[in-house]
Amino acid sequence: MYFPIGKRVAIVKIRTMESSAPVATPFAAETVGLTKRYPLTWKRKVLVALDHLDLQIRPGEVFGLLGPNGSGKSTTLKLLLGLIVPSEGEARVFGLPPDSLDARRRVGFLPENPYFYGFLNGDETLRFYGKLCGVTGPKLDRRIEELIELVGLQNGRERPLRSYSKGMLQRIGLAQALIHDPDLLFLDEPTAGVDPLGSAQIRDLIMRLKKMGKTVIFSSHLLEQVQEVADRVAIFSLGKKVLEGSLESLLAESQSTQINIPAELSAEQQQRLRAAISQTGIDDQKIRFTRPHLSLEQLYLRTVQAQADLSSKNPSGK
Amino acid sequence: MISSLHRIITIARNTLTESVRKKVLNVLLIFALVLVGSSVGFSQLATPGLDSSGLFDAQIKFVKDFGCGAIGLFGFFIALLSTAELIPQELHNRTIYTILAKPVRRSEFLLGKFLGVVLLLALCVALMSLAFAATLYWQELQGLKTTDAAYAQSSNWQANSVLVSAYNHDVQQIVQQVRDPQLIEAIILIFAKLVMTIGIALLISTFATSSIFTIVTTFMIYLIGHMESTAREFWLASGANSSIWQSSLVGFISLLIPDMNSFTIVDEILAGNKVPWSHALNLIGYADVYLIVLLAVSVVIFDYREI
Repeated sequence: MYFPIGKRVAIVKIRTMESSAPVATPFAAETVGLTKRYPLTWKRKVLVALDHLDLQIRPGEVFGLLGPNGSGKSTTLKLLLGLIVPSEGEARVFGLPPDSLDARRRVGFLPENPYFYGFLNGDETLRFYGKLCGVTGPKLDRRIEELIELVGLQNGRERPLRSYSKGMLQRIGLAQALIHDPDLLFLDEPTAGVDPLGSAQIRDLIMRLKKMGKTVIFSSHLLEQVQEVADRVAIFSLGKKVLEGSLESLLAESQSTQINIPAELSAEQQQRLRAAISQTGIDDQKIRFTRPHLSLEQLYLRTVQAQADLSSKNPSGK
Repeated sequence: MISSLHRIITIARNTLTESVRKKVLNVLLIFALVLVGSSVGFSQLATPGLDSSGLFDAQIKFVKDFGCGAIGLFGFFIALLSTAELIPQELHNRTIYTILAKPVRRSEFLLGKFLGVVLLLALCVALMSLAFAATLYWQELQGLKTTDAAYAQSSNWQANSVLVSAYNHDVQQIVQQVRDPQLIEAIILIFAKLVMTIGIALLISTFATSSIFTIVTTFMIYLIGHMESTAREFWLASGANSSIWQSSLVGFISLLIPDMNSFTIVDEILAGNKVPWSHALNLIGYADVYLIVLLAVSVVIFDYREI
């Protein structure tokens, strides 16, 4: 969103929080009026990347940030990580300023399309990030073993990252984000550019993290995946949050009820059922019979998984 | 404090590993070829052995000049190109996000990167110095061989005590000229000057938007740093007919840009003149003070940079 500079908006750099003292809060992440503006000096305009965002995310929640490109999702994550300074408003992570070392000890971050250091192999990458977080010695060795196992990168331990596929890069990215066992994870487009199988593995991983009690805040374009893993979502447009709530409350159609019957009904059976329901006072013209569809993703995963199972049972291919 | 140092060292080691694995050290192979090629080729243009004064071997002087010059030149390119790439590359690959999202201060990131390039430069200068020492040793052998050949023309010279004494003197002169401990002083001063170049390039890269801007600007500052002493002598010397503006401008530039020309004292060492260690230590202290200022300003600018 652009504002003409005639009505000049004050660009004042304010550190995320005036005080670095922790504030007692029930939230894992919280923003109040969080705003980020970028002055476009040459165009004499100001770009508002994020406009007065109020957000409260509880510990243990999986929270999805949805919206088209440039709607403010990545800016929100960067502000919550203290990587950029807000123009207005404030953000806190576990009651702490996001750019404080104490806050960063409790968060992990996977950026969008991460590259990492191509000259390091999988093990070296995790060792490097672990040392930065103060994890060393046998504890770091154990943690690397656990994470390699968790993200399924046993075949990438000795390979330099420059030879990794996009899916492998995302998985090592997740592993580095988890190296210091953070309580809160920020994942920026964790499934971008990953094939459906890799994408499903990342989705499963988020589910496992949720079971482990971690808070996950992630942005994604894959709405079906968000629907599968998120407890709550916020939809962004042009730097503003336009909708927020639990998936159940947002997606439920209160004016209709769906009945699943594990059999194909004949025309006669449908007619009898229609008559029975209409006896409850419901207009039988409004009752519709449809066959449920698999999503293309479900079909793809089912097919690929079946082929993989077949190959593992019959490795010779006969 | 210790954990902060630990993080700086981790980033420095990673920066050094990156340069080594990206085969930056291959540049040193070119250095070795240039050095050996110059020794066996160009030095032959000079007359072999000691000159008429009996004190000086022109070929050895040539190798010393060329070797120190090449260490300075190659070191300059390694320092400048490696430093200019440090931050733009991290921003372009977004690796900086993964580091700064960890419990790492921006100042620690910057100092770690700086230390990594300094370590790379130290490694390069050490290896180049080894190649330089080997070439000098080879030149010493050539000088001694020429001396032997010259004395062998006089029959039975070993029985002549005057000739034996002259021979011993010549050998001593050649060995002294090659194994001059002041060469270590010269290389340390070259290294100090290169570390200052890294500091300047790092400061510029904290606000530059491209590495080419950092390279060009650092190069210009390097040149101004070499010329400012001449300008100072001209405009600020007592009795100079300069306006207040000219004097202020030169004074301001002198304060802002380090005086690189003061490191040309290395030429005096190579000419065989004695330069006391106290003078070298003064210069190193001057470089350290400048470096601390450069790093402090870099940290402040980088702390406020939008990434």
